[in-house]
Amino acid sequence: MLHEILWQQNGRLAEACLHHPFVRGLADGTLDPEAFRRYVAQDAFFLDTFARAYALAAVRSQDRKTLISLCELLNGVLWELRLHDGYAKEREIELARVQPYRTVEAYTNFLLATAWHREPGETIAAMTPCMRLYGYLGTELAKTVVARNPYQQWITTYSGSDFQALVTRVESLLDSMAEDTPAVRDAYAYAMRCELNFFSAMSEHRA
Amino acid sequence: MSRFDDSPLVLRAGTLWQEATAAAFLDAIGDGTLPPGAFNRWLVQDYHFADALTSFQGIAAAKTPRQYRKPLIAGLGALDAEMDWFEAQASARGVKLSAPVHEVCRRYCDFLIEAAYREPYSVLLAVLFGVEASYLAAWSGLPPTGPYAEFIDRWSNPRFAEYVESLRVLAEGHRHESSQRYFDGALAHERDFWRMTWEG
Repeated sequence: MLHEILWQQNGRLAEACLHHPFVRGLADGTLDPEAFRRYVAQDAFFLDTFARAYALAAVRSQDRKTLISLCELLNGVLWELRLHDGYAKEREIELARVQPYRTVEAYTNFLLATAWHREPGETIAAMTPCMRLYGYLGTELAKTVVARNPYQQWITTYSGSDFQALVTRVESLLDSMAEDTPAVRDAYAYAMRCELNFFSAMSEHRA
Repeated sequence: MSRFDDSPLVLRAGTLWQEATAAAFLDAIGDGTLPPGAFNRWLVQDYHFADALTSFQGIAAAKTPRQYRKPLIAGLGALDAEMDWFEAQASARGVKLSAPVHEVCRRYCDFLIEAAYREPYSVLLAVLFGVEASYLAAWSGLPPTGPYAEFIDRWSNPRFAEYVESLRVLAEGHRHESSQRYFDGALAHERDFWRMTWEG
């Protein structure tokens, strides 16, 4: 299956994300709360775009089944955004006034440029890494339980069956909508690099 | 000093204008000391960029009302001819234009394509003016001599300057609340692009 080929091809990037200091900090609960605040704000900006990219893919879909899948995936992003609203409220973050970091904006510009301008299969290839990677990170982090981890909710969300079902859904869309072409491989790999850059940006930008 | 020093868009861009129009790469072009590797890198990446700019400009021309559209259409023809010229230059130098797009170039291209679809024509005019005016200013600062004289002349000649002036009139005549932000965005990408061509 194409989704598995692409995931395996980018295994090195997935491992780099898993071992990234930001993700290790989530795993053992030692992440600087300020870094998590930055992450929540930037990720809310990102997810807003991610939802729009699903919407564009839905508009450009060729059949009803794909349209329904994309709308359900879009709903999944809106659910994630509501979780971020909760994190933001607890931590008094003003999500409406977020200025994206350049790294984050590069990622969102890539997603939207792809969704508007490229073939629909490339759009799904650009969107799958975020889903599969978070499902992977959640599952890996859930293997070790740390007492009173302030980031346990994050781990529970992404390792949970609701999110894993969304991962399966987007990967099955990828298999049905995309061919194994250089452009599809490139979109997937570039999105994986954007994910790694996203974690790094949270440490590089200090208040 | 440049011919755009009195442009409100340029003035409000502050130091970004200088950063987008002066670069170590350009200095080395000017004094003829540019390493061939850097020149070839620029050739490949600028070709990728020109391809994205063609898409941007095609969409911008389609969105722009008929009475303002002519400079954009003429510019599209010139861009296409420029891509032919790039292909001839690359072939003569044995450079493969199919080499991968650099991440910095990719970010600039995505910025253009995303804006083209999402923003109204007034904002797109500001972007196009930013792209072309900074390019004209960058090359116009160099003496039109030495091994790269043909390149310097291509982006500093009076016809190109006249085209950029027509874009300036359009951009300044159609301001939008997002114009400055996108103009500044184009300049920031220009700055990063020049650094990439030099540093790799």
